[in-house]
Amino acid sequence: MAFVSSGYNPKEPMKDRITDIGPKHFEEFYPPVIKNNKGKWLYHEILEPGVLVHVSETGDEVYTVRAGGCRLMSIEHIREICEIADKHCNGYLRFTTRNNIEFMVDSKSKVKPLVDDLMSRKQPGGCYKFPVGGTGAGITNIVHTQGWIHCHTPATDASGPVKATMDVLFDDFRTMRLPAHVRVSLACCLNMCGAVHCSDIAILGYHRKPPLLDHEYLDKMCEVPLAIAACPTAAIKPSKVTLPSGVEVKSVAVNNDRCMFCGNCYTMCPSMPLADTEGDGIVIMAGGKVSNRLSAPKFSKVVVAFLPNEAPRWPQTTAVIKKIVEAYAKGANKYERVGEWAERIGWERFFEKCEIEFTHHLIDDFRDPAYFTWRQTTQFKF
Amino acid sequence: MPTVEFQGKSFTIDEDGFIDDYKNWSQEWVQYVKKEEGIDELNEEHQNVIKVLREYYEKNGIAPMVRVLSKVTGFKLKHIYELFPSGPGKGACKMAGLPKPTGCV
Repeated sequence: MAFVSSGYNPKEPMKDRITDIGPKHFEEFYPPVIKNNKGKWLYHEILEPGVLVHVSETGDEVYTVRAGGCRLMSIEHIREICEIADKHCNGYLRFTTRNNIEFMVDSKSKVKPLVDDLMSRKQPGGCYKFPVGGTGAGITNIVHTQGWIHCHTPATDASGPVKATMDVLFDDFRTMRLPAHVRVSLACCLNMCGAVHCSDIAILGYHRKPPLLDHEYLDKMCEVPLAIAACPTAAIKPSKVTLPSGVEVKSVAVNNDRCMFCGNCYTMCPSMPLADTEGDGIVIMAGGKVSNRLSAPKFSKVVVAFLPNEAPRWPQTTAVIKKIVEAYAKGANKYERVGEWAERIGWERFFEKCEIEFTHHLIDDFRDPAYFTWRQTTQFKF
Repeated sequence: MPTVEFQGKSFTIDEDGFIDDYKNWSQEWVQYVKKEEGIDELNEEHQNVIKVLREYYEKNGIAPMVRVLSKVTGFKLKHIYELFPSGPGKGACKMAGLPKPTGCV
């Protein structure tokens, strides 16, 4: 389409410029029942998977229907969400911190038509557009990142593996049969945007090859000291390199024996790319949590050092996740999160129950704190 | 990478309009970026910021942190934004011919 101006004048960029107004105040978008009962809620219940009721001290009730969201959405899809909200909820809706969609209604009689409407909507390929679920001790949405859609440092895709994983775990999105809720997250490189470091099960993009050096452009494109300082293992040092043309340029040298392929240097320096089709893949971590319930928050721990990228369905990755979920569902006590379960039975049992091979890659070797992850006791199970 | 002609000089730039090489910088480049960034008039203060950035880069191989730039020039961040509406990175560093800022920007 030809250019259509919004009224912005590029010749006078600062004229009529509105700035620092921040987001809209959330109270503007409250459904009336929420606005009237703010701060007065007495209790809540989960009526069925995906449907909650909150009861206020004034006697008001609000019914929330939670539907899965794909996070990466077209405007058409958002318009359809708005259409549903217009039809059932007077135009009000909200998104959760795990990118699910919540529709709220103020009487029980409005719940069933809403749920039926949501479950009846499907994509042309057959997927549910708005599957209802994600509450209680089940598996809710996967917090994930950009992947090959938009980012330049990923070691794997985000949307693809998330779709494949949620397909495998879909029954647990629709039910609440687990000992406690299981949070699954994905980050496509170990920048770990999102929640992988603190999730029950985490999928993490991982490289296995050191960066390639584009000596000709490195000093022009990069601030060399930043690339050196970006390395957590000090594998990078400054060097002078003579190009095939005979010109001597400033560059860096990478000690490949010290490189653990984190990719931080590429983040700082575009001339050090390291993505590789065969080298890149996925690491699985488990046992993290953020809540303070029963036990303190935990970091997730690496349990599978490498699984290959297998677009478009990542079968090995989803199989491992399914195995962990099933072993946890079978073994854990009520209210026990994956990390609490693993720590109670011992990690050696965790690997046995989940049928995951333990490899030397899983033993921490990063600086002094690695020592504290080794076992300094005779207490272990054969 | 595309090339632009400006006042009889040609510069190779990337898709964000940063110069390909620090060494290819000249006063004509400053004038070109002035036009691109929509800055009305270049005054002494603009030139001072550019001078500080270039001297710092030459000496240290990196662009200064914003606090350092503020301290050395004596301009508060707010004033740097008044001089360069796009900010110290996208505006001033581009005009000074420094490499494009990297990281999670």
